[in-house]
Amino acid sequence: MKRRNIILTSISILLLLVFIFVADSSFDAYKVRILNLCAIYTVLGLSMNLINGFTGLFSLGHAGFMAVGAYTTALLTMSAATKQQNFFLAPILPPLDRLNAPFLVALLVGGLLSAFVALLIGAPVLRLKGDYLAIATLGFSEIIRIVFTNTQRITNGALGLKAIPSTTNLWWSYGAAAFTVVIMALLISSSYGKAFKAIREDEIAAESMGINLFKHKVLSFVIGAFFAGVGGGLLGSLMGTIDPQMFKFAFTFNILLIIVLGGMGSITGTVIAAFIISSAGELLRFLDQSINLGFVVIPGISGLRMVVFSALLMVVVLFFRNGLMGTNEFSWDKVIGLLQRRPLIKRRLGQ
Amino acid sequence: MSVLKTENITMKFGGLTAVKDFNLELNQNEIVALIGPNGAGKTTAFNMITGVYRPTTGSIIYNGQRIAGLKPDAITRLGLARTFQNIRLFKELSVLDNVFIANHLHLNSNIFEATFRLPRYRREKREKLQRSEFLIEKLGLKEFMNEKSSSLPYGLQRRLEIARALATDPKILLLDEPAAGMNPKETDDLTAFIKEIRDEFDLTIFMIEHHMHLVMGISDRIYVLDHGVTIAEGNPYEIQNDPRVIEAYLGVSEDAED
Ligand SMILES: Nc1ncnc2c1ncn2[C@@H]1O[C@H](COP(=O)(O)OP(=O)(O)OP(=O)(O)O)[C@@H](O)[C@H]1O
Ligand SMILES: [Mg+2]
Repeated sequence: MKRRNIILTSISILLLLVFIFVADSSFDAYKVRILNLCAIYTVLGLSMNLINGFTGLFSLGHAGFMAVGAYTTALLTMSAATKQQNFFLAPILPPLDRLNAPFLVALLVGGLLSAFVALLIGAPVLRLKGDYLAIATLGFSEIIRIVFTNTQRITNGALGLKAIPSTTNLWWSYGAAAFTVVIMALLISSSYGKAFKAIREDEIAAESMGINLFKHKVLSFVIGAFFAGVGGGLLGSLMGTIDPQMFKFAFTFNILLIIVLGGMGSITGTVIAAFIISSAGELLRFLDQSINLGFVVIPGISGLRMVVFSALLMVVVLFFRNGLMGTNEFSWDKVIGLLQRRPLIKRRLGQ
Repeated sequence: MSVLKTENITMKFGGLTAVKDFNLELNQNEIVALIGPNGAGKTTAFNMITGVYRPTTGSIIYNGQRIAGLKPDAITRLGLARTFQNIRLFKELSVLDNVFIANHLHLNSNIFEATFRLPRYRREKREKLQRSEFLIEKLGLKEFMNEKSSSLPYGLQRRLEIARALATDPKILLLDEPAAGMNPKETDDLTAFIKEIRDEFDLTIFMIEHHMHLVMGISDRIYVLDHGVTIAEGNPYEIQNDPRVIEAYLGVSEDAED
């Protein structure tokens, strides 16, 4: 049994590697971009699901963490010359002008800075519960955005950063997604992950069973923020441009949509939903543009895509509260069980 | 030997005094019951002792240490564990996970060691899984080990709460209406079981219970609360014959008839 699962997993990983190789070398730029987004949204979705889905904290500050990661990674990977071109209104603050790091280091520093920010705001904010926590974290992410708009000499203010080296490719994004999936799966199945779930299920009971609520909430929040920062860094490098407007609440909302659709508290669900939402996000882009049906041109309504997404969220919340997966996870045993069920019935009928 | 003592603990909710000047003393290995009509303040007394509420006034001394005002998890760490009147299991989680989580407080491994399954965590996990399985078996829940806890029938959920509380390795076990919703046979089993775990785990037991048969059969001493005030304290014989207790209970049944 165990052997079979190892073999199946190995085959799947191999197939994925072959797929990435083929996609990387022969797919057109548009398709590659969508595939990249799918993987990056997986990282972002998992990071938010740890906080909101597994630990049950109603946090809406995700865009703030992504912004910290995206700006850090961008500033660490841009060359001195590019930085000089970007910062034409006010010169960049030294030593930022010369700071430079390889992409991997830049991503990790972005994640760590984001985690550090989470630690700073987590200390006061995580004492709040439910709606209050949501409001406070939402406020935090708006503050980050406004700070970034005004720290002209660090972030280039409202102009944003342009010509960020586009290092993100399928290997980076799928590597990061796989890394995040593995770490999350290990964390969630450990004693700490179970303590997170206990907090989600019943805070009073968890506390009475000796779980230090504050410590565990901070851990979950900080780890989630780390991965959000990494995801933000990958995204910035994929886009090539970032500015404070990108990190508005709508961004957090998109990630929220992924975890609600996939199932709060399911890694598998988040991965599936990340693929659905990021593909749909690109494929439905035509909704925002004018549609030419040959005989008549329907003028584009910008923001229509967002309306579709919001409606989708409402439908999920109203009719499928558990999302695609609930709190269930993928396993080979389940898949094979499903595949075998049919022949089994046939066999019985045949007797 | 006294292990827990409360000195005039009082809990006020706005204008309502739910518990007034409650003085409790628990001696090592005793089984002590707290009874009283609905709304008397029994659960509130539990909540103060276990740190869910901080007493408005008064102090709580556990093995010579003042614990009033500590957080529930700190109090559990010191050796007080409880069950809840309105069952509070981790509903979505399995029976095994419910008990396993109650071992988490004794884990020395940090989150890094746990995530990457380093040797210390692997060893601790093995120990704690074994202990969880032992407790689950002890409470007759072995066949439900991997079931979702909310799928268990009510009586078994109460037992699972006891298994979970025991997993924290307590010195004092507080049970809030452990026999609620149980049939007479189950109640009798529970009586025997409470004595058994008291002896096996060297516990002191403090419990709230409405089944008089159970209370009178098992308790060394009984405290009676009515409207937050302690109206009697003594052994089962004394309590059964105390006119104030009889009046408090009759008063309630008269009210119920209106
Ligand atoms: N958090 C709270 N806020 C306000 N009032 C409360 C609170 N908790 C309990 N009370 C009140 O305190 C009084 C005592 O309640 P408590 O739950 O302690 O009673 P009890 O003796 O456990 O009753 P029962 O037998 O019904 O469980 C009740 O009047 C209750 O309404
Ligand atoms: Mg009660």
